[in-house]
Amino acid sequence: MITAKGLYKRYRKTVAVDHLSFDVRPGVVTGFLGPNGSGKSTTMRLMLGLDHGEGETLFDGKQFGTIRRPMNEVGALLEAKPFHPTRSARNHLRMLAAGNRIADKRVDEVMEFVGLGDVRRKKPKGYSLGMAQRLGLAQALLGDPQTLLLDEPTNGLDPHGIHWMRDVLKTLASEGRTIFVSSHLLSEMQLMADELVVIGRGTMIFNGDVDTFVREFTQSQVVVRGPETAGLTEALKAEGAEVVSEDDALVVSGLEIGKVGHVAFTVGAELHELSTRRASLEEAFMSATGSSEEFVAKEPVRAAEPATAAAEGEAL
Amino acid sequence: MGLLVTTGVAVLLGVAARNEPLDAEILTTAVNGGASFGLPFLAVFMAIIGIFACGHEYRHGTIQPTLTSLPQRSRLILAKLIVVTVTTVVVTALSMAINTAVVYIVWGEAPGLFEDPIGTALAGYAIYTLIYVLVGFGLGLLFRGVPSALVVIFLMPLIIESIIMGLAFIPALDWLVPVVKFLPFTAGSRLMEIVPPDFGPGSPDFDLFSRWTSGGIFALFAAVILTTAWILFKKRDA
Ligand SMILES: Nc1ncnc2c1ncn2[C@@H]1O[C@H](COP(=O)(O)OP(=O)(O)OP(=O)(O)O)[C@@H](O)[C@H]1O
Ligand SMILES: [Mg+2]
Repeated sequence: MITAKGLYKRYRKTVAVDHLSFDVRPGVVTGFLGPNGSGKSTTMRLMLGLDHGEGETLFDGKQFGTIRRPMNEVGALLEAKPFHPTRSARNHLRMLAAGNRIADKRVDEVMEFVGLGDVRRKKPKGYSLGMAQRLGLAQALLGDPQTLLLDEPTNGLDPHGIHWMRDVLKTLASEGRTIFVSSHLLSEMQLMADELVVIGRGTMIFNGDVDTFVREFTQSQVVVRGPETAGLTEALKAEGAEVVSEDDALVVSGLEIGKVGHVAFTVGAELHELSTRRASLEEAFMSATGSSEEFVAKEPVRAAEPATAAAEGEAL
Repeated sequence: MGLLVTTGVAVLLGVAARNEPLDAEILTTAVNGGASFGLPFLAVFMAIIGIFACGHEYRHGTIQPTLTSLPQRSRLILAKLIVVTVTTVVVTALSMAINTAVVYIVWGEAPGLFEDPIGTALAGYAIYTLIYVLVGFGLGLLFRGVPSALVVIFLMPLIIESIIMGLAFIPALDWLVPVVKFLPFTAGSRLMEIVPPDFGPGSPDFDLFSRWTSGGIFALFAAVILTTAWILFKKRDA
């Protein structure tokens, strides 16, 4: 359980984190979302006492700075992955392990676990981005902590790695651990996270579960398919709905599915499909974090495009 | 705790330092009993280790994982400080012992080793080295990097203080004369003198403090640097 209260951080003129308060529950994965520069990394550094600002973060009731062997309680993977230039990956972890009374055996174990078993005696300077990321995760997992704080852990991982990371985090959460993870891969987040903390420009936009977030920030759309839809389109528009044709279907927003069905019935239109299209987390994110006027439902086609593009990008 | 303290490179340098300065030390030992005016080699090498103890962490950003594995900053500094101090004391003692042994082998005797001028100067030399290293440690932590700390620790004693001292010889700048005895590195080097420095005929009377008072000024200087660095380290973002 993480309790953050009144986190605040200012860099000269910019307020990076503006009085954020949230709880992260154990047993589920909590996603931490926000556009670039919204203050996610700064928040995590504040939570760990790496940056000094206002507010307080308690990990199972304790401040990070007061935990004697913190790696055994809180594992952290931060944005920067600094490694010593002349030390092997294994020695890097052994050093950190020693300060926290963690056995060397565990070092080999986690390196094997993250898939770096074969290169553990190599220097991390020669690691690729994804390998460094895995080493960072190994470091976070070293003390088998109850709480994990991960800043964009999927950054640089290959598709298998991303999939693996998702499984690992879900498994760890199901063991009753507290997982707080930031990411820009929203489709991944949708599969992985149960709870969300969404921020924009350092302030809280949303804190709650994923479904509520999607419902709150998007209007659901109704997809209608049929052989002859011209009359139906007119009737729907007369009811105040916004109708866009997409291939051979109509995408209706601003009307509930039952109402759409009723309109079709009254105009006597033949229907081959009548379904709700649930908006994706990505769409909700866009609408929540874009300028407040720009809600996704007003421009459904445009908003849907980046979603598919991103999905294709990930599939590569 | 060894891990938090000296970095791998620093250890390597330590090994190098243990061997290299010995040659120079052998000479100086043979000539004046272990101390040389200016900067002793050993002090310089050990000060580099002192600077690396913290500076290196910042240079490679490893301070971040270090702090996530040991977030109590004062404990971290204390641990590093203890290791640096112990290493310095051990290496200094070792080097002095070896030099003494060499002197015995070469000359078969080491007259007056534990007596006043030589004995006290040797003790002063060991103290000087330790304080110098602590200054290095403080500078590394203060500047959060290696190069700037290196520059300061070498430029301060070798150039800046010499210039001030040189300027003090000019009659128009004689107000600098009383300042000279407070120059930390100059004061510190009095710790390891055998005979009081002679600045030549016509030199102003610097009214230098005694050996131990001068040493005290040097120690005070180190303490100020260390304390400032320590306080800042506790307050700054990692
Ligand atoms: N060391 C610093 N000095 C000055 N400003 C900083 C510093 N670190 C961060 N900031 C500012 O704080 C804000 C938040 O940055 P932060 O790195 O926390 O964003 P982020 O949400 O992690 O972004 P990203 O998604 O790109 O990782 C930004 O406006 C950034 O310019
Ligand atoms: Mg970030």
